[in-house]
Amino acid sequence: MTSRNAIEVRDLVVGNGDVTAVRGVSFTIPQGGRMGLVGESGSGKSMTALALMGLLPMGWSTHGSVLHDGVDLVTQSDKALSSRRGRTISMVFQDPLSSLNPVRRVGDQISWVIRKHMGVDKKTAEQQTIELITQMKLPRPEQLVRAYPHEISGGQRQRIMIAMALACYPQLIIADEPTTALDVTVQKQVLRLLNGAAHDRGSALLMITHDLPIIAAMCDTVAVMYAGRIVEMGPVAEVFRNPRHHYTRGLLDSQPTMDNIALDGTSRLVSIPGMVPPLHDLPTGCAFNPRCAVATDRCRAEMPELSGDTLKSACWHPVPNSSEVAAQ
Amino acid sequence: MTAVTPFPADARPLLEVRQLSQTYNLRRQKLFASRPTLRVLDTIDLSVRPGEAVGLVGESGSGKTTLTRMLTGVEKPMSGNVLYDGLDVWTGGEAHRKLFRRSVQVVLQNPRSSLDPRMRVGTSLLEPLRSLKIEGDHAARVLEVLDQVGLQKSALERFPHEFSGGQLQRIAIARALMPGPKVLIADEPVSALDVSIQAQVLNLLKDLVRDLGLGLVFIAHDLSVVAYTTSKVYVMSSGKIVEVGKPLDLFRNPQAEATQALVGAVLSVEAGLAGNALA
Amino acid sequence: MTITAPAVSVPKRRRRLDLNASLVVGVVLTIGFLAIAIISFFWLPSNPNIPNIKARMMPPFSPNHWLGTDGLGRDIVAQLMVGARTSILVGAGGASIALVLGTITGLVAAAYGKFADEAISRGADILLSIPGMVTALVLAATMGSGAFTTILALSAFFTPSFTRVIRSAAMGVLQEDFITSAKLYGRGRLFILARHVIPNIAGVMIVQFTLYFAAGILTEAGLSYLGVGVTRPSISWGMMLNEAQQTVGISSPLAIWPGLAIVLVVLGLNLLGDGLRDVLDPKLKRRSA
Repeated sequence: MTSRNAIEVRDLVVGNGDVTAVRGVSFTIPQGGRMGLVGESGSGKSMTALALMGLLPMGWSTHGSVLHDGVDLVTQSDKALSSRRGRTISMVFQDPLSSLNPVRRVGDQISWVIRKHMGVDKKTAEQQTIELITQMKLPRPEQLVRAYPHEISGGQRQRIMIAMALACYPQLIIADEPTTALDVTVQKQVLRLLNGAAHDRGSALLMITHDLPIIAAMCDTVAVMYAGRIVEMGPVAEVFRNPRHHYTRGLLDSQPTMDNIALDGTSRLVSIPGMVPPLHDLPTGCAFNPRCAVATDRCRAEMPELSGDTLKSACWHPVPNSSEVAAQ
Repeated sequence: MTAVTPFPADARPLLEVRQLSQTYNLRRQKLFASRPTLRVLDTIDLSVRPGEAVGLVGESGSGKTTLTRMLTGVEKPMSGNVLYDGLDVWTGGEAHRKLFRRSVQVVLQNPRSSLDPRMRVGTSLLEPLRSLKIEGDHAARVLEVLDQVGLQKSALERFPHEFSGGQLQRIAIARALMPGPKVLIADEPVSALDVSIQAQVLNLLKDLVRDLGLGLVFIAHDLSVVAYTTSKVYVMSSGKIVEVGKPLDLFRNPQAEATQALVGAVLSVEAGLAGNALA
Repeated sequence: MTITAPAVSVPKRRRRLDLNASLVVGVVLTIGFLAIAIISFFWLPSNPNIPNIKARMMPPFSPNHWLGTDGLGRDIVAQLMVGARTSILVGAGGASIALVLGTITGLVAAAYGKFADEAISRGADILLSIPGMVTALVLAATMGSGAFTTILALSAFFTPSFTRVIRSAAMGVLQEDFITSAKLYGRGRLFILARHVIPNIAGVMIVQFTLYFAAGILTEAGLSYLGVGVTRPSISWGMMLNEAQQTVGISSPLAIWPGLAIVLVVLGLNLLGDGLRDVLDPKLKRRSA
């Protein structure tokens, strides 16, 4: 097995018979790579993550292939997947309070994961737990292990979740909006810790968020999802500086960040008109066409596929990039 | 090109709080011990003028929520005053209180929760007029307000679940506009919305401030959203206003520790691409 | 004249009631049950109370007696039909009184402050800790048995459960932002309860009603079987079970008919309740979307 990837997703389709939330998604994250998955609610980004972990809600099924650690996760049994979760592939969820067991001490929850997957004795697991908590820069680790989830702050809980996700040196960490539920001032510390810890362990990272600056800070590639498909994918700098898809362009322009607003109140954001289409009522052709300023009959009839070299985008009339504009 | 709203420094404040403090009694730790107290608001001064948008930022637990409750007249302060048009809303008499109720309207964070799912949108819009017993041509007022927020007339017959989050927030704003308020208090109005929709709602709020001369109090945790929408920002921390200023000054030269923490927490795409966002 | 057609016709999704299987079966069984009770007022195969010694213990599929007769020659079909009336009277009566009382107490507990909540909730706890059958037996002993006593016992037994369910459902609604909005523009508590809370918990109320309707039928049958429920000339399926016991050695099908009737009706109402819950509960619907 040479040049193994952390994960290789091919033509992933996730649906429940009624609606299809993910409609043919392919991407590869190399070992230790970092990919960001951007999208709004209903884009299918969270469903993609849950499908990778085998944690889809009842009634949903997965098609396509997800190669990870030499096996296809789609064909694996629940039991096999369960033995992987937390070991070779782990996940950090948005809300740390509901993802921790409220009636068990946080230390016990971490050391349980270590004992389950690493086959070490209780003493060693507890030692490793303290070490992990220390690495997470949490104060007084010996006391903190004895705390219950409700006794610590949201930021601390999320760091406990990250510690748990990292405990077994996973090949891939999936983080689904890990800082959305936290105070803004804590966000940066948590991201920094996740970043450093993933780097130290050589774990690949799949960062799922709607927050573009977070992707810019954490990832080297980015995939933009819209209505269940990846509409643009490539190196972060390229996608964010020269997006070819009008949706990506719109996202960059419509989110107020330090990049696109003047601080004297004079600037005006360009908003994307309309709304995200519901899954059961997707437009034909390119799903973005009703909201796109340059949509033509072709966009309404034919679905564009991803194309391009380093930056791939799925658009019939891509945004001209800066070099093309200069040439004209 | 949109005209810049002149900073109306000469206008009289519409809604104002002066030296506002609020203390909560906590549970007794021991029998016979006196009850410990928690000071959630500490001598707050804040005002908003017609056509002015002011922002209120702070971490959770800074007292933003309590201050919002004071500004909307839900909670009575222990000391200090809440003034509307120069007159105290708690001691100014019933007529003034009614005027305050009608003139200060609120837009809440989650539009899915702020509209009754079993009530048609048209009924929801008329509710403030009926409750506040405001006379006049209600039908004409509804159409006028729908136009102001950019919604179709057909929306009136429909139920909330038939709309997207962004449209619902427009409806919630429309309901707030129905009684013809002078001040709008928006509590995290875009944080529950999809990113591609946020700009629509922020731009709508900016337009309403400009076109109707509304005073806007915009409460949020995200400094960049506040900086985009408002011309003056109050920074709160542990129940106090620690800094007030124009967004530009706060970003360039934050003085208070809390402001520095908030400014420091702002991430940008360019900083991220340059590789120093998390430094 | 030009005819313009839209380039893409967006398929309009028709709003349909999600007809799930349990709802369909529940509706069919329940309607059948109600229909039988109604028909019994206009037509009966024969008088269910007058003994006919000549026609004792007729087997099923006898002429004029489709399901046969009992030990005193009374027609089984006629008795079952009149029994359905009793079941509806007692089950729906008990559930209705409990619904009204439980809604009032539940709403008061949810909306009128800590003290009212404590008083009502603790009161409900105490009532729930008394076994329902014991309540019914005591009531029957003191007031005499009969449909009215049974209804009273059932409503005493069911009300605290309704109170709890209504209270927690109402509290959920009262936390919503539209309640805050209504308070901000000056709506009073009664208006909020009537116009905002009740419409939003109506689904819960309907579901709860059907489930306790079924429980009431079951309890009534149990009480009448014990001989403390209704008495002739009223007829109850529980009473029929009791009487069938006396002839169980001679003919077993006599116990089957009222038993089957109870099972089908209770099953039908429970399926209806479950089916309605799926259709009416907006939260469940949103989750599946």
